[in-house]
Amino acid sequence: MKQIVVHQEKCTACRECEVACSFAHEGVFVPALSRIRVNDFYEEQFYLPMTCVHCADAPCATVCPTVAIQKEPDGQILVHEDRCIGCKMCLLACPFGVMGFQPEVGVAQNCDLCRNIPEGPQCVQFCVPEALEYAEVETAAAATQKIYAATIQQSLSTQQ
Amino acid sequence: MQSPYVLIGNSAAALAAIDGIRRVDRVGKIIVLNREHGPAYSRVALPYFVAGEMTLEDLLIRQRVDYERLGVELMEEAAVTGIDAAARQVQLADGRKIGFGKLLIASGSTCVVPPIRGLDSVPHHYLWTLDDARRMKAAAEKARTAVVIGGGFIGMLAAEALRKLDIRLSIVEMAPQLLPQLLDPEGGRLFAQAVFDEGVTLRLGSTVDAVGSKNGQVEVLLRGGGTLVADMVAVAAGVKPNLSCIAGGPCAASRGVLVDERMESDCVDIFAAGDVAEAKDFLSDERTIHAIWPTAVDQGRVAGTNMAGKKIAYPGSLGMNVVELFNVTLAELGRFREAPGDDVHLLAKAAGGLYRKVVVDRQGRIVGAMYLGDENGVAEMGVIHGMIKRNAPWREFADFKLPRFTYATTVHGRGRTVPVRAR
Repeated sequence: MKQIVVHQEKCTACRECEVACSFAHEGVFVPALSRIRVNDFYEEQFYLPMTCVHCADAPCATVCPTVAIQKEPDGQILVHEDRCIGCKMCLLACPFGVMGFQPEVGVAQNCDLCRNIPEGPQCVQFCVPEALEYAEVETAAAATQKIYAATIQQSLSTQQ
Repeated sequence: MQSPYVLIGNSAAALAAIDGIRRVDRVGKIIVLNREHGPAYSRVALPYFVAGEMTLEDLLIRQRVDYERLGVELMEEAAVTGIDAAARQVQLADGRKIGFGKLLIASGSTCVVPPIRGLDSVPHHYLWTLDDARRMKAAAEKARTAVVIGGGFIGMLAAEALRKLDIRLSIVEMAPQLLPQLLDPEGGRLFAQAVFDEGVTLRLGSTVDAVGSKNGQVEVLLRGGGTLVADMVAVAAGVKPNLSCIAGGPCAASRGVLVDERMESDCVDIFAAGDVAEAKDFLSDERTIHAIWPTAVDQGRVAGTNMAGKKIAYPGSLGMNVVELFNVTLAELGRFREAPGDDVHLLAKAAGGLYRKVVVDRQGRIVGAMYLGDENGVAEMGVIHGMIKRNAPWREFADFKLPRFTYATTVHGRGRTVPVRAR
């Protein structure tokens, strides 16, 4: 499936993604309402955007007592807001802490990969340093493997 | 009639078992024996139905076609009265017999009827089955005041539903605090304050002696004096495993059906899962019952998979609960009440958080946590949940270098963890 792939080393914590997500879904520029969150470690200059990873066997979907969270045929983990009672069991089940909650509506919410926007995920569209990519996970995994292999290769050749 | 797979029950555990079976065996016929009527509904959502926030249709978590699609025959109003392990048959109340290859007991729990004088003679309401919820909803539509007997999980859910209908409430709880299964004394104190602030009359540490009718209302007499009068009474004195189907044997049971780590009872090919099963506890390795939805789902899936012939082990159940009641979100995980030798770490009150606590055992691993506050702290509890499940040491949490406060957190007060006291 296609999902949001993070190239951590490119992230500058500019938070365009948070703003774009908030605007795309809520119509306002409020980073707190974003479904993607940039975790920042300023001293180490380490920034990591995190959002729903659409697990293959998702604990949130398994635990949901009203089957509001379902795996769509394309692999996406989707919260059906009309079925959600806001019990927050999914928040308690998610080991990554990326399931969110909208207190105004009283429903759980996760990254929906901007399924209703033809241009695709808005966080990716507006990511200036191109730290976010909307790609097939298999392709992305292969690319990540190549990057790490290249890193090891380089460090080994430097040693010699 | 007979089938390779027969499931007694039609809720979380049985539905998960269907899922487990179908992961291994795509064709073997499954019979579901439902003592109630209709396809599965969500018990967790019943209070929302009483409060008028959901319709009957909304409560359904399966449609009839879902059963058909999976090759499952749903038999309704099919109460099981006995199991003959030798003949591999279950006996139904209407006399029919169903033969099985593998049997799952997932009959859930039933409400405890408290020993209160006069209870039979006055109308009173439970909140456990769909029929209970229907009756409670009908009564609530005509009521302006209510007494809830029992301030545990179900009692408070009933109270919350009735509060949403603007019914004036009195709550009687035997323990000295509300939600004794879910909160430690300090959490109970904070929560009781929130309930009290909503104008609810609280009678903690009180037992009900008798109930009676008076001028069309119900009168609740407390032990040691005191009377509460209201238009309706809700009773929530806890639940107990529904063992009626094995009343005459064959499986060994203590509080629930005793099962091994494959969820199989001492009778070969008879499995149990959910509220009715006494299975391995994740933290202590002893057998216990966590009568919660997530445990029923996990156990059901393991049972189903094993029933279909693929051997997998159940890692053990971990207590977990989260609920929003009286504008407070509360969540608990594992052993949140410290035992002797445990260390308790209280975390800072982040914006919107009232009380956050992590319990660490002698070996230094995280074994439990509790949270009270607004909804923002629950995602962090999810992370702690993951840590408990992989036996993570407290050090990992304490030394965890947390991201600095972001624009979002400072402006909008999204919760963050700042450990402040570590013994």
